[in-house]
Formats: sequence, structure tokens, C-alpha cells
Amino acid sequence: MVVGNKWVKTFNTVLLLVFFTIIALTVLYPLVYVVVGAFTPGNSIAGMDVIPFASGFTLDHFVYLFTRSEYPHWFANTLFIAVLTCAGTLFVASISAYVFSRFRFTFKKPMLMSLLILQIFPSFVGMIAIYVILYRIGGLNTHWGLILVYLAGNTPYNIWLVKSYMDSIPKSLDEAARIDGASHFKVYRSIILPIAKPILVFLTITSFVGPWMDYIFPKMVLRDPSMQTLALGLFSFVTERNNDFTNFAAGALLIAIPFVIFFTITQKMLVTSLGGAAVKE
Amino acid sequence: MSGAGTIAAPGGIETLPDKQRVFILSLVFMGLAHLTLLKQYVKGALFALCELVFICFLPAIVGKISDLITLGTPTPELLITQRDNSVFMLIDGIMILAVIAVFAALYYISARSAKNECRAIYANGKFPPKRSAVQTLTGSAFPVAALTPAFILIVFFVIVPLIFSACVAFTNYSSPDHIPPSNTVDWVGLDNFVFMFGGDNIWSGALFRVTIWTVIWAALATFTCYFGGMAMAVVMRDSKLKVTGLFRAIFILPYAVPAAISLMVWRNLLNGSFGTINQTLMQLGLIKDAIPWLSDPLLAQVMVIIINLWAGFPYFMLLVTGAMTAVPNDCYEAASIDGASKWQVFRHVTLPQVLYQTAPLIIMSFTHNINNFGAIWFLTAGYPAVSDSTLTSARGTDILVSWIYNLTVISLKYNYAAVLAVMIFVALAPFAIMNFRRTKSFKEGAI
Repeated sequence: MVVGNKWVKTFNTVLLLVFFTIIALTVLYPLVYVVVGAFTPGNSIAGMDVIPFASGFTLDHFVYLFTRSEYPHWFANTLFIAVLTCAGTLFVASISAYVFSRFRFTFKKPMLMSLLILQIFPSFVGMIAIYVILYRIGGLNTHWGLILVYLAGNTPYNIWLVKSYMDSIPKSLDEAARIDGASHFKVYRSIILPIAKPILVFLTITSFVGPWMDYIFPKMVLRDPSMQTLALGLFSFVTERNNDFTNFAAGALLIAIPFVIFFTITQKMLVTSLGGAAVKE
Repeated sequence: MSGAGTIAAPGGIETLPDKQRVFILSLVFMGLAHLTLLKQYVKGALFALCELVFICFLPAIVGKISDLITLGTPTPELLITQRDNSVFMLIDGIMILAVIAVFAALYYISARSAKNECRAIYANGKFPPKRSAVQTLTGSAFPVAALTPAFILIVFFVIVPLIFSACVAFTNYSSPDHIPPSNTVDWVGLDNFVFMFGGDNIWSGALFRVTIWTVIWAALATFTCYFGGMAMAVVMRDSKLKVTGLFRAIFILPYAVPAAISLMVWRNLLNGSFGTINQTLMQLGLIKDAIPWLSDPLLAQVMVIIINLWAGFPYFMLLVTGAMTAVPNDCYEAASIDGASKWQVFRHVTLPQVLYQTAPLIIMSFTHNINNFGAIWFLTAGYPAVSDSTLTSARGTDILVSWIYNLTVISLKYNYAAVLAVMIFVALAPFAIMNFRRTKSFKEGAI
């Protein structure tokens, strides 16, 4: 009987190990080919041997990216756009959420309701109108035009997210500060913001990551190749006409590495706020 | 509060404002009641200024509104740059409507404020001291100033574009005959809806096909990722293997790598003619002919869902792991005392608890997937083409939003794209309202 149990146990362990290994291989499969592609000579994926690194090793693609393509520009543009979008989002969403959470005013309920309905639409449903508005205010082919679009598009949802979190902060805290003579801005700045830090960190991450991989709006707003962003540039390597997989892989690898490191570090915190944000409400 | 009820104030006798007159004056001109009867000069002046500015621009506003109604008249004899541009007229008209709405709201706010001030004066039996009037103003200036950036952004970059889209659904704004500036656009009533929902067979057929696929896609994408992630989370929690941590780190990778990149890699690996997967299978001798992973309509749909599972399960794995830690340990202990098997524990303890906690996220994920442009675009770009694709620009794996993109960018059928946008709106708004009614602040009547 005991022996049988042991056998069952070993069998289960092996089964589990096999199961995990199969899934891990599936997960790693495409990622391995990014690394392989980045260091393999030649251009197209067709010329690549299916056995990793069997067709040789080269650093040419990285040299190409930095000397003969606009990659450094794309990277700098994207970083610039992401940082400003992130900063703007943090400010606009947190201060509006504070007002919605702490003040009573006319039209508050209809405003909150419309925020909720607006957030279900991807902003590109109103693409033509955004294009025309940017055209009229001179925002086409500029980075600030794109930043405005990003900022506005996510604001309805972000306000809700932060407001729900702020609702859970006891009102007695800011009332005490108000009685001590602190202004509304002071209460917002030195009492509410520090307590709301977890949700703001979450907001920082999501609003920073967004612009790196958006395709539609950069495509619509930015014309000059040197103005473009990473997603646009990398996508242009692997269109129907252009099959430049190896250069694409090299560029992709350079972005993926910091993202992987970052997400591995922040993973735990992200899950807590991720779940907390939606479950709490 | 001791002075309440007495009319006499230390500085002499004050006559309280007549309620009726306050009400009428506040309606006649914004801020008039504040200026004349309520002695709130700063606030009244600000309100009055708003109305004056509005009146100054009234002729321009009327002009823009009439442009919105006509959308311009065709003048083929003029140079293109001098012709009426219907799109600008439409968008300016909508912005003016937004300005009018804001003005109407201000009017309402000012009348209400006059009424409230008046009531407060009656309750105290005297006018508030000067200082507190200034304080009220700075007090109410903060929320107004704080909301202004968000308000402007949302009005001009979210609401106006959405209303514009909705309006375009009722016009004939489309290639080749109605593209400004060379031609004007006209209001056509419900023609586009009639056409899409029951007119031309090919377009209605495409609409039906794409809608069905969008719903199937969203349901399966959510379902597979959720339960895939949950399965991994449960198995990993029960696993006694020492290397579980390593596996967990590997399983998170698809979440960490930007989806656009991993989907573009998959798209190359799965390519029918030169993709690595087909080459590998052929060299191993498992297949003779290339498998058309992304060029056979049905197979492409299956692949879209499978690859989405690859990209999406880690998110739910992390989420369920988090949710499981919130399940009280007592539940597990009680279950093990009762001699429950692993499966029974999962079925009767873990599953209901986790489901209850994450239900809102499942709904959110479903609505997100309905609009998940990226998941389709970076993997298949909507391809492969099917029989009606040349005419309708809806390909085999296109969902409604990617079809909207095609209609807007490739075939310039803005009117049909707008019909689809309205359709998505009507279908998704109930979800949003349901989520809203579920929130704590709504239930507690706090707003």
C-alpha cells in the first residue's frame, strides 16, 4: 500500500514536470527566435535555419539599427512621448479624481456616468475627428499632438480608477487637515497623494507602457520617418512587402529586455494593485 | 447663530432679498441676482462676464449652427480651396454645440447658486460677512480649476470625436463621391443603417459575419485566458516541485514582453511560405505541404485565439494567484478535515471564491476583447481575404473595430465605419452602466 502510494506520487511529480516543461517550451518558443533572429546573418526569416544559431552569429543588425536606420530617433521619440504622457496622466487623473471623490457639486453624477460610458470606446473610433481637430490646432506631425491624444483617451478610465481608490481613504483625515487650515491643494498634495501611492504607481506603469506599442495614432499623426515611434518603425520592417525579420528581432530584443526586467521586479506589486483596483470598487 | 430669526444686524437694518425676484433675475441674465440682490459681486461679475462673452459670439455661433444643418452647398465652379468643407463644418458645429451645452450648464449652475445663497441668507437672517464670501469663492475655485484640464481634454478629444462619429453615421461621407474638400457631404437620415442592416446583401452578410466572429472571439479569448490562467495558478499552488519558482518566472514572460512584439514574431513564425514553424515541421518530416496557418480563414481564426491564449494567460494566472491568497485558510482546513479530494476543494472552495472576486474583471476583459484591435492587427492584420473582402474591406479575422479601421483608412467609407461605431456603442453601453451600478459608491448613494 505504502509502496503504491510512493509510485503514484513519483508518477504525479513526473507528470507535473512534463506538463510544466511543455508549457514552458511553448512560452519560450517565439522568444527564443527573437534572440536567434537578432544575431543571425541575413535578412529574411526564410533564410534562417530552424535550429537556433545554426546559420552563424553576427552583430550586424545592431550596427544597422544604430547607424543606418532611424532606430535611435524612434527610441528617443517614444521615450519622450511615454514620459510626458505618464506625467500628464498622473496629474490630470489624480487631481480630477480627488475632486470627484471629495466634493459635492452640480452635475457630479451625470459627469461620473459619462466618464464610465466614454471609457468603453477605444479612442480611434473618433479617429477622423481627432485628425481634423489636430489639423486645426496645428498638432499634426508633432509629438505634443500625439501626447494630447493619449492623455485624453485614457483619462475617463483613469479618473474612475483613482477615484475608487481615493473613496476608500477615510474622509476624517482630510477634514482634520482642513480644520487645521490646510488649503484644498495642500490636502490633495500632502495627504491624499501619499496614501494613494499604490494606485498611482499602477497608473504610472500602465500609462508609460501604452505609447511604446500603440500603432494607430502614431501612424495617423506622425508623418516624418524621424518623428515616428518604435512600434511604427519596427512594424515597417516586417510588412507584406518588406521582410526584414532579423533587424526587427534586434530592435524588438532591445525593447523587450528592459520590459522583462521591469515586469519581473514589479510583478508582485502589479498583481496586488491590478486585482485591488478592480475588485475593490 | 444667535442672530437667526432677527432681521436687525449690528450695522443697521438689512432687508432680505425677495425670493421671487432673486429667482427671476437669476434667470433673466446670468449673475444678475448675485450682483443686485445677493451682494456677491465677484461671483456675479464672473457669471455675467460668461454671458457677455457668449452674447458677443452669438452671430458666429448662429452661423456655425446653420453650417452644421446644411453642411455646405456644392459649388463646383469655385477652386477646391474656396469650396465649403463639410467635415470642418460638421466638426465646428459639434464643438459649438459643446460650447452651448457648457453655457447652458453654467446658466443652470448660476441659477441654482442664487437660489442656494438666498436660502442661506434666510436661514441666517442676514447676509454672510464679506470674508466668508471671498472664502466660498476660493473654495469653489479649486474644484473648478482642478477639473478644467480633464474637462477640456475629454470634451475636445473624446466627446466631440465620438459625437462626430455618431453624426457621420447619418451622412453620406464616403469615397468616391462625397469626400471634402472637392465635394460636400449631406445628411442622409437612416440610409446607412438601412443599407447595412438590410440593404445590399454583401454588406449585410459581411456585417453579420464580422459581428458573429467578434462575439465568438471575445467570448473565447476571455474564457480560454481566464481558465488557462486559473488552471496554471491552481496547479502551481499545489505543486511541491522545487523548481516551481523558475517555471513561474518563465510563464510570466508573455505578459512582460510587449504584446505587439510577440504577436509580430508569431506572425513571422506562422507565415505559410517561409515561417519557421512550417519549415521545422517539414524538416522533421511531419508534414509534406506547408500548413496555411494564417491564410486559411478558419485556421487563422483558431490561431488568433490560440496565440491570444499564449499572450493572455499570464495576466489571469497572476490575478488568480492573487485572488487565491485572499481565500481564508479556514475554508481549506475545514475541507481537508471533511476529507475532500483536491478536485473537490477546487470545485467547492477555490473556484466559487475566485470567481466571485474576479467576476468584474471577466466582464471588463470581455468588453476589452470586443475592442482588442492590437490582438488582431499585429498577428494577422485582419487577413486572410475572403470572398467579399475586396468590396467590404472586411477580412477573415477582422473584428468590428479592425473593420472600422479598414473602412476609415483603406476604403474611406467613413459613413459605414460610423454605423459600426454606433452599433458597438449600443451593444457595450449596458455593460458600462451595469459596472457602474455595481460600484460601492453608487450603492451607498454617495454620488
